[in-house]
Amino acid sequence: MKKSILLMAIALIWSTTLFAAGTQYSLRVDGLACPFCAYGIEKKFKKTSGVDSVDFDLEKGLVIVKVGEGIKLSEAQLSQLISDAGFTIRSMTETPLL
Amino acid sequence: MKPKQLLLISTCLSVFGSAAVLAHNPVFSPGPHVLFKEGVEAHAGILQSKAGEKTRSELGLELTYGLTGNWSAGVEMPYIDNENGSNKADGAGDTRLFTKYRFWRKDSLGLQESAAVLLSVMSSNGDDQTNPPLGSGTTDMLLGFSYGYESLKWYRWTSTRYRRNDENNIGLRRGDKWFTDFVVGYRPTFPVYLKPDTVWLLELNGERGQRNEQSGTALVSSGGTEWFISPGIFWTYRNFAIKAGVQLPIISDLNGIQNKSDYRTKLEFEWHL
Repeated sequence: MKKSILLMAIALIWSTTLFAAGTQYSLRVDGLACPFCAYGIEKKFKKTSGVDSVDFDLEKGLVIVKVGEGIKLSEAQLSQLISDAGFTIRSMTETPLL
Repeated sequence: MKPKQLLLISTCLSVFGSAAVLAHNPVFSPGPHVLFKEGVEAHAGILQSKAGEKTRSELGLELTYGLTGNWSAGVEMPYIDNENGSNKADGAGDTRLFTKYRFWRKDSLGLQESAAVLLSVMSSNGDDQTNPPLGSGTTDMLLGFSYGYESLKWYRWTSTRYRRNDENNIGLRRGDKWFTDFVVGYRPTFPVYLKPDTVWLLELNGERGQRNEQSGTALVSSGGTEWFISPGIFWTYRNFAIKAGVQLPIISDLNGIQNKSDYRTKLEFEWHL
């Protein structure tokens, strides 16, 4: 029984990593007051290797970045991109995409 | 150069010799907003002014580059069509180099407050021998300061600029000029990225010019103060913007005998590349 549970757990973990389709970074960004201004963020991320898409929720101050499988963006890298666009990053979360 | 020509240059350059207006800023005055790092902005603007028999139209082509997230610089090349009664001239105007540095910024959710200093140098490459003249014949400078409050619904800006004019090769010097601006903006519909966005603007623009001088002697019918009320609109979609507005004089206190401004209009197109 214990062996079965263990095998099932290993299979589940293995399948999760096998089918992970990338990562989503949700960035809380301050200073985002207009769509025209936000384009600078889109431009900076689209020039970054591995970035698939960039989306915005201006009301919540969110920048949602999706990257491909195996791509990792560090917190320092994300902060620099946001700063170069002329804004301030407040927090970030990282979520694997399935 | 005759005093009347100097007066005409002074009148026209009071409008078009000010610092280039960048990106997400008011129509007739500068704001503190700068371009993102390594960004390129292409800008085409049509400006027209009328004062009595004098009409001036200017097509300005401008390129701006984001040096950092808080500092940008660029160049503007105007093409001018100038009329004064039966006299007419058209051609290249004075090229302008400009830079803006945003030295303070306070970001919070859906809100950015910032302040910037700006510097422009207006060259003397425009022909000042035509009638009416297309260029100033001098290299002039403009220094300014701008503050802005930009939120998802309301905007407010204030700026002040000082233009220092040089003396030309026959001893004529246009009076230096102060510009003061107050602007409010309102966005009626909550913005959504990848949807058109509209902001309505209302500006109060003031100009105070010193008298022109010929070999150190002040010319009577030159200089003075004008105030304008200027409604405008700022429309954007992703990386493309259209700005338009009209300046209507509400106070004219010009020295001696001069034509008061009738109106000024501006239409601009901007692309962030």
